[in-house]
Amino acid sequence: MEDAEKAEKAFLERKVRKAFQTLLLQRGRNPGVKGWELKRHLGRDYRKILEVLSGDVRALGLEVHEVKGVDGSDDASRFLLRFRDPPTMTEAETSGIRIDDLAVLASSIAYINSRQGRAGRRELEQFLKEKFPKWRVDYSIERYIKKGYLDQDEKSLLRIGWRTRAEIDERTLMTLLLSRGSEVATA
Amino acid sequence: MGDKKLEDLLRVISLCASIQSSSANPFEVDIMEKLQVLKKHLPDWEFLDELLLDSEALYELAQIVKLQDLWLKQKATSLYIDPLLVQLKVKLLSRQALAESFVKSWHPIAQLDQLSPKGLEKAFVYWRDLRPFSERFKDQFGNYGARPGVVDYQDLVDLGIFTQEQFDSKMNVVYDELALTSKGEWVDYREFIESSEVEKKITRAYILAFLISDGMALVKTDPLTGKISIMPLPRRATGEAKSVAISVTEGT
Repeated sequence: MEDAEKAEKAFLERKVRKAFQTLLLQRGRNPGVKGWELKRHLGRDYRKILEVLSGDVRALGLEVHEVKGVDGSDDASRFLLRFRDPPTMTEAETSGIRIDDLAVLASSIAYINSRQGRAGRRELEQFLKEKFPKWRVDYSIERYIKKGYLDQDEKSLLRIGWRTRAEIDERTLMTLLLSRGSEVATA
Repeated sequence: MGDKKLEDLLRVISLCASIQSSSANPFEVDIMEKLQVLKKHLPDWEFLDELLLDSEALYELAQIVKLQDLWLKQKATSLYIDPLLVQLKVKLLSRQALAESFVKSWHPIAQLDQLSPKGLEKAFVYWRDLRPFSERFKDQFGNYGARPGVVDYQDLVDLGIFTQEQFDSKMNVVYDELALTSKGEWVDYREFIESSEVEKKITRAYILAFLISDGMALVKTDPLTGKISIMPLPRRATGEAKSVAISVTEGT
Protein backbone atom coordinates (compact mmCIF):
# COMPACT_ATOMS: atom_id res chain seq x y z
CA MET A 1 0.00 0.00 0.00
CA GLU A 2 2.80 2.34 1.00
CA ASP A 3 4.70 1.51 -2.17
CA ALA A 4 1.68 2.36 -4.28
CA GLU A 5 1.32 5.71 -2.53
CA LYS A 6 5.00 6.45 -3.01
CA ALA A 7 4.81 5.55 -6.66
CA GLU A 8 1.78 7.77 -7.12
CA LYS A 9 3.51 10.67 -5.35
CA ALA A 10 6.63 10.25 -7.48
CA PHE A 11 4.46 10.14 -10.59
CA LEU A 12 2.70 13.35 -9.62
CA GLU A 13 5.99 15.09 -8.83
CA ARG A 14 7.33 14.11 -12.21
CA LYS A 15 4.24 15.49 -13.92
CA VAL A 16 4.38 18.74 -11.96
CA ARG A 17 8.06 19.16 -12.87
CA LYS A 18 7.24 18.57 -16.51
CA ALA A 19 4.36 21.06 -16.35
CA PHE A 20 6.69 23.69 -14.85
CA GLN A 21 9.27 23.21 -17.58
CA THR A 22 6.63 23.24 -20.29
CA LEU A 23 5.15 26.51 -19.04
CA LEU A 24 8.48 28.22 -18.43
CA LEU A 25 10.19 27.52 -21.73
CA GLN A 26 8.89 29.61 -24.58
CA ARG A 27 8.13 27.46 -27.59
CA GLY A 28 6.29 29.65 -30.10
CA ARG A 29 6.30 33.41 -30.63
CA ASN A 30 4.14 34.02 -27.59
CA PRO A 31 4.62 32.75 -24.05
CA GLY A 32 2.30 30.20 -22.52
CA VAL A 33 0.96 26.85 -23.61
CA LYS A 34 -2.45 26.02 -25.06
CA GLY A 35 -4.81 23.60 -23.27
CA TRP A 36 -4.65 20.98 -26.03
CA GLU A 37 -0.83 20.97 -25.85
CA LEU A 38 -0.87 20.44 -22.09
CA LYS A 39 -3.38 17.65 -22.48
CA ARG A 40 -0.97 15.95 -24.89
CA HIS A 41 2.05 16.47 -22.61
CA LEU A 42 0.48 15.84 -19.20
CA GLY A 43 -2.66 13.82 -19.85
CA ARG A 44 -6.37 14.48 -19.32
CA ASP A 45 -5.91 15.59 -15.71
CA TYR A 46 -3.62 18.46 -16.63
CA ARG A 47 -5.77 21.00 -14.78
CA LYS A 48 -5.24 19.17 -11.48
CA ILE A 49 -1.49 19.06 -12.13
CA LEU A 50 -1.51 22.79 -12.87
CA GLU A 51 -3.35 23.41 -9.59
CA VAL A 52 -0.62 21.55 -7.67
CA LEU A 53 2.05 23.46 -9.61
CA SER A 54 0.35 26.79 -8.87
CA GLY A 55 0.53 25.96 -5.15
CA ASP A 56 4.19 24.93 -5.43
CA VAL A 57 5.34 28.11 -7.18
CA ARG A 58 3.44 30.30 -4.74
CA ALA A 59 6.53 30.45 -2.53
CA LEU A 60 8.40 31.98 -5.46
CA GLY A 61 5.74 34.65 -5.93
CA LEU A 62 4.35 33.05 -9.09
CA GLU A 63 1.05 31.49 -10.15
CA VAL A 64 -0.37 29.55 -13.07
CA HIS A 65 -2.81 31.78 -14.94
CA GLU A 66 -5.39 30.84 -17.55
CA VAL A 67 -6.34 33.13 -20.43
CA LYS A 68 -9.56 32.01 -22.06
CA GLY A 69 -9.44 31.51 -25.84
CA VAL A 70 -11.84 32.93 -28.41
CA ASP A 71 -14.32 30.04 -28.25
CA GLY A 72 -14.02 29.65 -24.46
CA SER A 73 -13.07 25.96 -24.71
CA ASP A 74 -10.42 24.29 -22.52
CA ASP A 75 -8.34 23.40 -25.55
CA ALA A 76 -8.16 27.03 -26.72
CA SER A 77 -7.21 28.41 -23.27
CA ARG A 78 -3.63 29.60 -22.84
CA PHE A 79 -1.85 28.76 -19.58
CA LEU A 80 1.17 30.67 -18.37
CA LEU A 81 3.25 31.48 -15.33
CA ARG A 82 2.99 35.03 -14.04
CA PHE A 83 3.74 37.13 -10.96
CA ARG A 84 1.20 36.40 -8.21
CA ASP A 85 1.44 39.95 -6.87
CA PRO A 86 2.09 43.10 -8.90
CA PRO A 87 5.64 44.50 -8.72
CA THR A 88 6.30 47.73 -6.87
CA MET A 89 6.74 50.94 -8.80
CA THR A 90 10.48 50.87 -8.04
CA GLU A 91 10.79 47.30 -9.32
CA ALA A 92 8.96 48.24 -12.51
CA GLU A 93 11.23 51.23 -13.03
CA THR A 94 14.33 49.15 -12.37
CA SER A 95 13.35 46.80 -15.18
CA GLY A 96 13.89 49.70 -17.58
CA ILE A 97 10.26 50.58 -18.30
CA ARG A 98 9.53 54.29 -18.54
CA ILE A 99 6.72 55.85 -16.54
CA ASP A 100 5.43 57.58 -19.67
CA ASP A 101 5.20 54.26 -21.54
CA LEU A 102 3.18 52.70 -18.72
CA ALA A 103 0.94 55.77 -18.59
CA VAL A 104 0.27 55.53 -22.35
CA LEU A 105 -0.62 51.85 -22.03
CA ALA A 106 -2.89 52.42 -19.00
CA SER A 107 -4.70 55.23 -20.86
CA SER A 108 -5.06 53.10 -24.01
CA ILE A 109 -6.56 50.13 -22.13
CA ALA A 110 -8.95 52.39 -20.23
CA TYR A 111 -10.03 54.15 -23.42
CA ILE A 112 -10.61 50.94 -25.39
CA ASN A 113 -12.54 49.34 -22.52
CA SER A 114 -14.75 52.40 -22.24
CA ARG A 115 -15.52 52.11 -25.98
CA GLN A 116 -16.95 48.61 -25.59
CA GLY A 117 -13.62 46.94 -26.29
CA ARG A 118 -12.77 48.48 -29.67
CA ALA A 119 -11.58 51.87 -30.82
CA GLY A 120 -10.30 53.30 -34.07
CA ARG A 121 -6.53 53.77 -34.01
CA ARG A 122 -6.88 57.40 -35.06
CA GLU A 123 -9.42 58.11 -32.31
CA LEU A 124 -7.08 56.63 -29.71
CA GLU A 125 -4.09 58.53 -31.10
CA GLN A 126 -5.98 61.82 -31.01
CA PHE A 127 -7.07 61.15 -27.45
CA LEU A 128 -3.55 60.28 -26.30
CA LYS A 129 -1.94 63.22 -28.10
CA GLU A 130 -3.85 65.61 -25.86
CA LYS A 131 -1.74 64.33 -23.00
CA PHE A 132 1.44 62.82 -24.45
CA PRO A 133 3.89 63.97 -27.13
CA LYS A 134 2.97 62.83 -30.65
CA TRP A 135 6.21 60.92 -31.20
CA ARG A 136 5.71 58.91 -28.01
CA VAL A 137 2.09 58.04 -28.88
CA ASP A 138 2.96 56.73 -32.38
CA TYR A 139 5.95 54.79 -31.10
CA SER A 140 4.18 53.33 -28.06
CA ILE A 141 1.04 52.13 -29.86
CA GLU A 142 3.13 50.36 -32.48
CA ARG A 143 5.25 48.73 -29.78
CA TYR A 144 2.25 47.59 -27.73
CA ILE A 145 0.66 46.03 -30.81
CA LYS A 146 3.87 44.10 -31.47
CA LYS A 147 4.08 42.96 -27.85
CA GLY A 148 0.47 41.78 -27.83
CA TYR A 149 -0.95 44.31 -25.36
CA LEU A 150 -3.15 45.74 -28.12
CA ASP A 151 -4.57 44.03 -31.16
CA GLN A 152 -5.14 45.79 -34.47
CA ASP A 153 -7.31 44.41 -37.26
CA GLU A 154 -7.21 45.15 -40.99
CA LYS A 155 -9.66 48.05 -40.51
CA SER A 156 -7.26 49.73 -38.04
CA LEU A 157 -9.58 49.02 -35.13
CA LEU A 158 -7.76 48.41 -31.86
CA ARG A 159 -8.85 45.85 -29.29
CA ILE A 160 -7.41 44.59 -26.03
CA GLY A 161 -4.64 42.11 -26.89
CA TRP A 162 -3.92 38.67 -25.44
CA ARG A 163 -1.02 39.94 -23.30
CA THR A 164 -3.23 42.49 -21.57
CA ARG A 165 -5.71 39.71 -20.79
CA ALA A 166 -2.80 37.63 -19.43
CA GLU A 167 -0.97 40.27 -17.42
CA ILE A 168 -3.40 43.01 -16.45
CA ASP A 169 -6.23 42.78 -13.97
CA GLU A 170 -8.38 45.13 -16.03
CA ARG A 171 -11.07 45.47 -13.40
CA THR A 172 -8.51 46.60 -10.82
CA LEU A 173 -6.97 49.00 -13.32
CA MET A 174 -10.30 50.66 -14.12
CA THR A 175 -11.21 50.87 -10.43
CA LEU A 176 -7.85 52.42 -9.55
CA LEU A 177 -8.09 54.96 -12.34
CA LEU A 178 -11.55 56.03 -11.23
CA SER A 179 -10.71 56.12 -7.53
CA ARG A 180 -7.74 58.39 -8.21
CA GLY A 181 -10.08 60.99 -9.63
CA SER A 182 -9.28 63.69 -7.10
CA GLU A 183 -5.57 63.87 -7.97
CA VAL A 184 -4.94 66.61 -10.45
CA ALA A 185 -2.16 66.31 -13.00
CA THR A 186 1.02 68.11 -12.13
CA ALA A 187 3.29 66.61 -14.78
CA MET B 1 -33.46 45.63 -61.54
CA GLY B 2 -34.62 49.09 -60.47
CA ASP B 3 -31.94 51.55 -59.47
CA LYS B 4 -33.85 52.41 -56.32
CA LYS B 5 -33.83 48.79 -55.13
CA LEU B 6 -30.16 48.41 -55.92
CA GLU B 7 -29.45 51.59 -54.00
CA ASP B 8 -31.28 50.19 -50.99
CA LEU B 9 -29.00 47.16 -50.97
CA LEU B 10 -25.84 49.20 -51.40
CA ARG B 11 -26.94 51.54 -48.63
CA VAL B 12 -27.36 48.60 -46.20
CA ILE B 13 -23.91 47.27 -47.10
CA SER B 14 -22.28 50.68 -46.77
CA LEU B 15 -23.95 51.41 -43.42
CA CYS B 16 -22.82 48.07 -41.99
CA ALA B 17 -19.28 48.54 -43.27
CA SER B 18 -19.02 52.01 -41.73
CA ILE B 19 -20.24 50.74 -38.34
CA GLN B 20 -17.74 47.87 -38.45
CA SER B 21 -14.81 50.11 -39.29
CA SER B 22 -15.46 52.57 -36.49
CA SER B 23 -16.19 52.31 -32.80
CA ALA B 24 -19.77 53.52 -33.36
CA ASN B 25 -22.64 51.88 -31.50
CA PRO B 26 -23.77 48.83 -33.56
CA PHE B 27 -27.30 49.27 -32.20
CA GLU B 28 -27.59 52.29 -34.46
CA VAL B 29 -28.43 49.78 -37.20
CA ASP B 30 -32.09 48.75 -37.11
CA ILE B 31 -31.63 45.09 -38.06
CA MET B 32 -35.36 44.34 -38.35
CA GLU B 33 -35.98 47.25 -40.67
CA LYS B 34 -33.04 46.34 -42.90
CA LEU B 35 -34.15 42.70 -43.06
CA GLN B 36 -37.62 43.86 -44.12
CA VAL B 37 -36.00 45.82 -46.95
CA LEU B 38 -34.08 42.74 -48.09
CA LYS B 39 -37.21 40.58 -47.80
CA LYS B 40 -39.27 43.05 -49.82
CA HIS B 41 -36.79 43.14 -52.70
CA LEU B 42 -35.87 39.44 -52.74
CA PRO B 43 -38.61 38.27 -55.21
CA ASP B 44 -37.46 40.91 -57.72
CA TRP B 45 -33.89 39.70 -58.07
CA GLU B 46 -33.34 37.83 -61.32
CA PHE B 47 -29.63 37.74 -61.99
CA LEU B 48 -26.75 36.14 -60.13
CA ASP B 49 -25.09 39.51 -59.43
CA GLU B 50 -28.26 40.75 -57.74
CA LEU B 51 -28.53 37.66 -55.59
CA LEU B 52 -24.87 37.92 -54.63
CA LEU B 53 -25.37 41.51 -53.58
CA ASP B 54 -28.39 40.47 -51.54
CA SER B 55 -26.40 37.74 -49.75
CA GLU B 56 -23.58 40.22 -49.10
CA ALA B 57 -26.05 42.59 -47.45
CA LEU B 58 -27.35 39.71 -45.33
CA TYR B 59 -23.80 38.76 -44.33
CA GLU B 60 -23.00 42.35 -43.31
CA LEU B 61 -26.16 42.45 -41.17
CA ALA B 62 -25.06 39.21 -39.49
CA GLN B 63 -21.72 40.87 -38.68
CA ILE B 64 -23.57 43.75 -37.04
CA VAL B 65 -25.58 41.30 -34.91
CA LYS B 66 -22.26 39.76 -33.83
CA LEU B 67 -20.97 43.22 -32.88
CA GLN B 68 -24.16 43.92 -30.93
CA ASP B 69 -23.57 40.70 -28.98
CA LEU B 70 -20.00 41.75 -28.10
CA TRP B 71 -21.20 45.26 -27.23
CA LEU B 72 -23.75 43.92 -24.77
CA LYS B 73 -21.27 41.51 -23.19
CA GLN B 74 -18.73 44.29 -22.69
CA LYS B 75 -21.35 46.61 -21.28
CA ALA B 76 -22.52 43.92 -18.85
CA THR B 77 -19.07 43.65 -17.28
CA SER B 78 -17.89 46.14 -14.70
CA LEU B 79 -15.24 47.24 -17.23
CA TYR B 80 -17.80 49.45 -18.89
CA ILE B 81 -17.49 53.07 -17.86
CA ASP B 82 -18.82 56.10 -19.64
CA PRO B 83 -16.21 57.03 -22.30
CA LEU B 84 -16.41 60.72 -21.42
CA LEU B 85 -15.75 59.96 -17.76
CA VAL B 86 -12.70 57.87 -18.66
CA GLN B 87 -11.34 60.59 -20.94
CA LEU B 88 -11.79 63.16 -18.21
CA LYS B 89 -10.10 60.96 -15.60
CA VAL B 90 -7.12 60.22 -17.84
CA LYS B 91 -6.73 63.92 -18.67
CA LEU B 92 -6.82 64.89 -15.01
CA LEU B 93 -4.45 62.23 -13.72
CA SER B 94 -0.71 62.78 -13.76
CA ARG B 95 1.47 60.38 -15.76
CA GLN B 96 2.88 59.08 -12.48
CA ALA B 97 -0.62 58.26 -11.19
CA LEU B 98 -1.55 56.53 -14.44
CA ALA B 99 1.64 54.46 -14.33
CA GLU B 100 1.08 53.56 -10.66
CA SER B 101 -2.47 52.38 -11.38
CA PHE B 102 -1.11 50.23 -14.16
CA VAL B 103 1.66 48.70 -12.05
CA LYS B 104 -0.77 47.88 -9.23
CA SER B 105 -2.88 45.78 -11.60
CA TRP B 106 0.05 44.23 -13.47
CA HIS B 107 1.17 40.60 -13.18
CA PRO B 108 4.12 40.23 -15.58
CA ILE B 109 4.54 36.89 -17.33
CA ALA B 110 7.47 34.73 -16.18
CA GLN B 111 9.20 33.05 -19.07
CA LEU B 112 12.59 31.91 -20.31
CA ASP B 113 13.90 32.85 -23.70
CA GLN B 114 16.02 30.11 -25.13
CA LEU B 115 17.76 28.99 -28.27
CA SER B 116 15.87 26.29 -30.09
CA PRO B 117 17.17 24.13 -32.94
CA LYS B 118 14.74 25.99 -35.21
CA GLY B 119 16.05 29.38 -34.04
CA LEU B 120 19.64 28.25 -34.55
CA GLU B 121 18.85 27.09 -38.06
CA LYS B 122 17.19 30.42 -38.85
CA ALA B 123 20.23 32.32 -37.54
CA PHE B 124 22.61 30.10 -39.51
CA VAL B 125 20.70 30.60 -42.77
CA TYR B 126 20.59 34.37 -42.19
CA TRP B 127 24.33 34.54 -41.49
CA ARG B 128 25.19 32.26 -44.40
CA ASP B 129 23.16 34.36 -46.88
CA LEU B 130 24.29 37.73 -45.56
CA ARG B 131 26.53 39.49 -48.06
CA PRO B 132 29.73 41.03 -46.69
CA PHE B 133 29.31 44.65 -45.69
CA SER B 134 31.76 45.82 -48.36
CA GLU B 135 29.58 44.28 -51.08
CA ARG B 136 26.16 45.12 -49.72
CA PHE B 137 25.82 48.67 -51.14
CA LYS B 138 28.08 48.17 -54.15
CA ASP B 139 25.13 48.32 -56.57
CA GLN B 140 24.05 51.76 -55.39
CA PHE B 141 27.37 53.40 -54.53
CA GLY B 142 30.07 51.42 -56.37
CA ASN B 143 33.47 51.01 -54.77
CA TYR B 144 34.01 54.67 -54.01
CA GLY B 145 31.45 55.19 -51.29
CA ALA B 146 32.68 57.16 -48.30
CA ARG B 147 32.36 55.75 -44.80
CA PRO B 148 29.83 57.42 -42.48
CA GLY B 149 31.29 60.53 -40.92
CA VAL B 150 30.49 63.91 -39.45
CA VAL B 151 29.28 66.74 -41.67
CA ASP B 152 30.04 70.12 -40.16
CA TYR B 153 28.73 73.53 -41.07
CA GLN B 154 31.65 74.33 -43.38
CA ASP B 155 31.03 71.11 -45.34
CA LEU B 156 27.39 72.12 -45.86
CA VAL B 157 28.48 75.56 -47.10
CA ASP B 158 31.04 73.90 -49.40
CA LEU B 159 28.37 71.56 -50.74
CA GLY B 160 26.15 74.55 -51.51
CA ILE B 161 23.37 73.44 -49.15
CA PHE B 162 23.71 76.64 -47.12
CA THR B 163 25.27 80.02 -47.65
CA GLN B 164 26.57 81.97 -44.65
CA GLU B 165 23.70 84.50 -44.96
CA GLN B 166 21.03 81.84 -45.30
CA PHE B 167 22.32 79.98 -42.29
CA ASP B 168 22.48 83.09 -40.11
CA SER B 169 18.98 84.11 -41.06
CA LYS B 170 17.66 80.58 -40.44
CA MET B 171 19.29 80.61 -37.00
CA ASN B 172 17.57 83.90 -36.25
CA VAL B 173 14.20 82.57 -37.41
CA VAL B 174 14.47 79.45 -35.25
CA TYR B 175 15.67 81.51 -32.26
CA ASP B 176 12.73 83.93 -32.60
CA GLU B 177 10.30 81.05 -32.91
CA LEU B 178 11.77 79.40 -29.81
CA ALA B 179 11.58 82.65 -27.84
CA LEU B 180 7.94 83.11 -28.90
CA THR B 181 6.98 79.54 -27.94
CA SER B 182 8.94 79.54 -24.71
CA LYS B 183 7.99 82.87 -23.08
CA GLY B 184 10.59 82.15 -20.43
CA GLU B 185 9.48 78.53 -19.86
CA TRP B 186 11.05 75.19 -20.84
CA VAL B 187 9.79 73.85 -24.17
CA ASP B 188 9.62 70.16 -25.17
CA TYR B 189 12.47 69.61 -27.64
CA ARG B 190 10.68 66.90 -29.66
CA GLU B 191 7.54 68.95 -30.01
CA PHE B 192 9.55 71.99 -31.08
CA ILE B 193 11.42 70.25 -33.90
CA GLU B 194 8.36 68.27 -35.02
CA SER B 195 7.33 68.80 -38.62
CA SER B 196 5.29 66.89 -41.17
CA GLU B 197 8.37 66.70 -43.40
CA VAL B 198 11.42 64.77 -42.22
CA GLU B 199 13.84 67.13 -44.00
CA LYS B 200 12.40 70.16 -42.18
CA LYS B 201 12.56 68.32 -38.88
CA ILE B 202 16.24 67.41 -39.36
CA THR B 203 17.06 70.97 -40.45
CA ARG B 204 15.38 72.43 -37.35
CA ALA B 205 17.25 69.98 -35.12
CA TYR B 206 20.52 70.86 -36.87
CA ILE B 207 20.04 74.62 -36.52
CA LEU B 208 18.92 74.20 -32.94
CA ALA B 209 22.12 72.29 -32.20
CA PHE B 210 24.09 75.34 -33.39
CA LEU B 211 22.01 77.69 -31.23
CA ILE B 212 22.65 75.50 -28.18
CA SER B 213 26.38 75.13 -28.94
CA ASP B 214 26.52 78.88 -29.45
CA GLY B 215 25.13 79.45 -25.95
CA MET B 216 21.89 81.01 -27.19
CA ALA B 217 19.72 78.24 -25.73
CA LEU B 218 19.83 75.81 -22.83
CA VAL B 219 19.02 72.10 -22.99
CA LYS B 220 18.13 69.71 -20.15
CA THR B 221 17.17 66.04 -20.08
CA ASP B 222 15.06 64.23 -17.50
CA PRO B 223 16.75 60.85 -16.86
CA LEU B 224 13.52 59.27 -15.57
CA THR B 225 11.19 60.13 -18.43
CA GLY B 226 13.79 60.80 -21.13
CA LYS B 227 12.12 64.12 -21.87
CA ILE B 228 14.38 66.74 -23.45
CA SER B 229 13.57 70.41 -22.85
CA ILE B 230 15.04 73.60 -24.28
CA MET B 231 14.88 77.26 -23.35
CA PRO B 232 16.18 80.32 -25.24
CA LEU B 233 18.54 82.72 -23.48
CA PRO B 234 18.29 86.50 -23.88
CA ARG B 235 22.08 86.76 -24.11
CA ARG B 236 24.85 84.32 -24.90
CA ALA B 237 25.67 82.03 -21.95
CA THR B 238 29.16 81.74 -20.58
CA GLY B 239 30.56 78.88 -18.56
CA GLU B 240 31.39 75.26 -19.06
CA ALA B 241 29.59 73.56 -21.95
CA LYS B 242 28.62 69.87 -22.01
CA SER B 243 27.86 67.63 -24.96
CA VAL B 244 24.44 66.01 -25.23
CA ALA B 245 23.78 63.43 -27.94
CA ILE B 246 20.20 63.50 -29.22
CA SER B 247 19.03 61.09 -31.86
CA VAL B 248 16.53 62.46 -34.37
CA THR B 249 14.91 60.03 -36.76
CA GLU B 250 11.73 59.82 -38.74
CA GLY B 251 8.80 59.60 -36.39
CA THR B 252 10.74 60.20 -33.14
